[in-house]
Amino acid sequence: MKNIFYKSSLLALTAGVLLTSCEPEIDTPNPTAGSEANFSKYIAVGNSLTAGFQDNGLYREGQLSSYPAILADQFREVGGGNFVQPLFPENQRNGSGYLRLVGFTPTGSPITETVTTERAIRSASPVLFTKFTDPVQNLGVPGIKVAEIKVQGYGSAQGNPYFERITPDNQAGQTYLQRVQQSTDHTFFSLWLGNNDVLSYATSGGASSATSNAITPVNLFDANYSELVNALTANGQEGILATIPDVTGIPFFTTVGPSVKKTLTDNNIPGMVAITGAGKDRIQVATAQINAPQNGVLFTLTGASYAPLLGQPTGKYWRDLARQVSPSQDPLIVRGTLAQLLLNYSVDTTKMFGFSGENPWPSALLLDVNEQNSVKAATTSFNNIIKAQAQAKGLALWDANAYFTSIQSGFGRNGVAYSPAFITGNLFSLDGVHLTPRGYAIVANEMIGAINAKYSASVPKADETQYRAVLLP
Amino acid sequence: MKSKLLALLGGVLFSGTAMAGGYQVNLASQRQIGMGHTGTGIETGTSSIFFNPGAMSFIRENGVTIGASALFSKIAYSPLESNTVTQADNDMGTPFQAYGAYKVNDKLAVGLGVYTPFGSGVTWGDQWTGRFGLEDISLRAIFVQPTVSYKISDKIGVGVGLTVATGSVNLKRVLPVQNQDGTEGGIELDGGAKTGFGFNAGVFFQPTEKLSIGVNYRSKVELEVEEGDVMFSNIPAAARGNFPEGTQFGATLPLPATLSVGIGYKVNEQLTLAADVSHVGWSEYESLRFDFTQPVGGSNVSESARNYDDAFIYRIGGEYQVNDKLALRAGAYLDQTPVQDGYLTPETPDADSRGLSAGIGYSISDNFSIDASFLYINKKERTDTAEFSRGVPGTFKSVAYIPGIGLNFKF
Repeated sequence: MKNIFYKSSLLALTAGVLLTSCEPEIDTPNPTAGSEANFSKYIAVGNSLTAGFQDNGLYREGQLSSYPAILADQFREVGGGNFVQPLFPENQRNGSGYLRLVGFTPTGSPITETVTTERAIRSASPVLFTKFTDPVQNLGVPGIKVAEIKVQGYGSAQGNPYFERITPDNQAGQTYLQRVQQSTDHTFFSLWLGNNDVLSYATSGGASSATSNAITPVNLFDANYSELVNALTANGQEGILATIPDVTGIPFFTTVGPSVKKTLTDNNIPGMVAITGAGKDRIQVATAQINAPQNGVLFTLTGASYAPLLGQPTGKYWRDLARQVSPSQDPLIVRGTLAQLLLNYSVDTTKMFGFSGENPWPSALLLDVNEQNSVKAATTSFNNIIKAQAQAKGLALWDANAYFTSIQSGFGRNGVAYSPAFITGNLFSLDGVHLTPRGYAIVANEMIGAINAKYSASVPKADETQYRAVLLP
Repeated sequence: MKSKLLALLGGVLFSGTAMAGGYQVNLASQRQIGMGHTGTGIETGTSSIFFNPGAMSFIRENGVTIGASALFSKIAYSPLESNTVTQADNDMGTPFQAYGAYKVNDKLAVGLGVYTPFGSGVTWGDQWTGRFGLEDISLRAIFVQPTVSYKISDKIGVGVGLTVATGSVNLKRVLPVQNQDGTEGGIELDGGAKTGFGFNAGVFFQPTEKLSIGVNYRSKVELEVEEGDVMFSNIPAAARGNFPEGTQFGATLPLPATLSVGIGYKVNEQLTLAADVSHVGWSEYESLRFDFTQPVGGSNVSESARNYDDAFIYRIGGEYQVNDKLALRAGAYLDQTPVQDGYLTPETPDADSRGLSAGIGYSISDNFSIDASFLYINKKERTDTAEFSRGVPGTFKSVAYIPGIGLNFKF
């Protein structure tokens, strides 16, 4: 009896062990490039988003999780080759330096600090970074506009330090367009450019009279953009174009307003006074207008440190601005600059900040109705140009504008809640403009969706959850 | 009650991965597993306590049965539009059963059953795509059922048992908050259930020597956890206010009612055939809701929709008595999933399933016999967007291999 018991137990156990090795199988779709696209050499053209810029800086970790790097990883499943990025070296991994979250104020506002160790800064004035002059496939240059792609010397020490970094010294006069034209052997490209043609105007609150902060004229955008697309498709290459998201939907513009609105509402204050545009014209802002979907005004994230000062007799904003724009940090000269600023903008800092016409809320910290309308009109025009190019050249198109508009109220995926909310939304990094690695991975997957649809390809999507969101202290 | 039971059972044996629809575990008798887990329309010996208390009064001798299965389940997962496949690394489950039946007289029989009709155990780990939905779950339920059965006539028996249920749940998730070094937080919910009550009633009808029919109803039992512990790990200091230590949770999980109708037919002295149809009242399971004593992630409640549908199970089985000592069995079943499209979750990545079983019975002496069974379960590959359940979108495929052994004493 014992024997039989023993034998049958043994049998059951053996069967169990044998059968555990029989795994369930899932027939996953075979990765394929399809018959139209060839991913063997991919290049990425674009701005900070393409470079992997995040947390108000470009640093190695961000570069490693740039959407082109993620795309290139996935392209490798369908015949893609090596993808060279101008990575900062490991010992200078903090690149330009970046914002790190160190805590929250008692009212829940984030406190950040700039990481200044192990940066790749080789010159402080003008700021220049450690060079990377090997051929690169990620041509993302933070700050670049479509308006600037034909600027001579853009890669010189007086140009854009991120382009200077990847420009060989003997070609310092080269334009960005010429650099792109040098690439003739790429088989596939992505082009996500044009954001800064509206963004720098918007993030400066429409307050700057500098050309560099103006919205790009539509005809210039059209001409430059089509030259760029022509260069990228010169040998019949396939690729993907992406539109420009609505900048007013990013946390940079949506975070501060609600707290200002709450303060005003709690104190029964019907509105405030602000400067509009680049001059000293005042406008009245009704409390109800703040972050309103129609006829609304938006506060910039840069206004976060001034919002708590509303109603106080303060000149903090102007003192900070004076230090920033003063030709010298000599206290006397800074004081002179400040006096000039206050005179130019007719500001009396002894009056109630934001509530008095004599001490209004600065224009640079507010995007008012007219400014938003200018941004929206330009965005629409630019996006029509981008879509027309995709159509004319038979390229894939990722409508980033439609995508970011569609997620304004948030979405959930794999047990994580995503939204355009600052810090808690998991998509945007600490600068409120650029994405987190997770956000970039989601962008890469959206692009893969557009590429697969256009080229009948089956490029597998990346596991977004393997890329981080905002790191908390 | 619970701790006594656990001590009694040595804390080793436990119900394993749910391998029937939802989190039901249909492994109640080694003989019946061999016959496709039919048993409502036939007298199954002591295990009629579970299958149909009405048939218990038809047993000829007193008996005790103990048995257990070793449940090896494997689940594969592939995210949507991806070519990667992950496997859940589930621990072996050990659903078990013990029955004792005693004939008081010709008409009356009493019995006690202990069995594990529900449970789930899935271990995905803390690296996979769906870790924020589920890292690991262990759901355990034990039913104790004192039962009485009365033979109204030679042809009809009725029976009813009180089901006394207890159990526990342990659920781990990775939290989407990260430290400066990228470490992700974690939450663990752990709680024992209050004792729940239900009943198991049946009617057994044997119109002829060859034919028998049975109807069985096992009622719903609520598994309710009060004051379960909520534990957090690796929460960044800045987020700790959102995940307060010392939080407790409450949750209620319905263990749904099952109505079964079965038929048995003795083709000849050697061959018995059986067929069952069961209706499982899964629509009771509308949402998985945790109530917290302090806000977790900003809310005192975490609720996600389940909206299960009622489901049917169809079973057939047979037993062939080769000689006095040896019986061979085989069976099959189809088990509908209660999980609707859009509601798939990683804790029960359910799909319509097919079961194939075989078994063997051997009488060593007049009063001692052994049953061995083997069940293979294959769930259909299922792709789901999980948009309503806040689950994990993707494709899931599960199989299970379940050998089991049971011992029967008669006296």
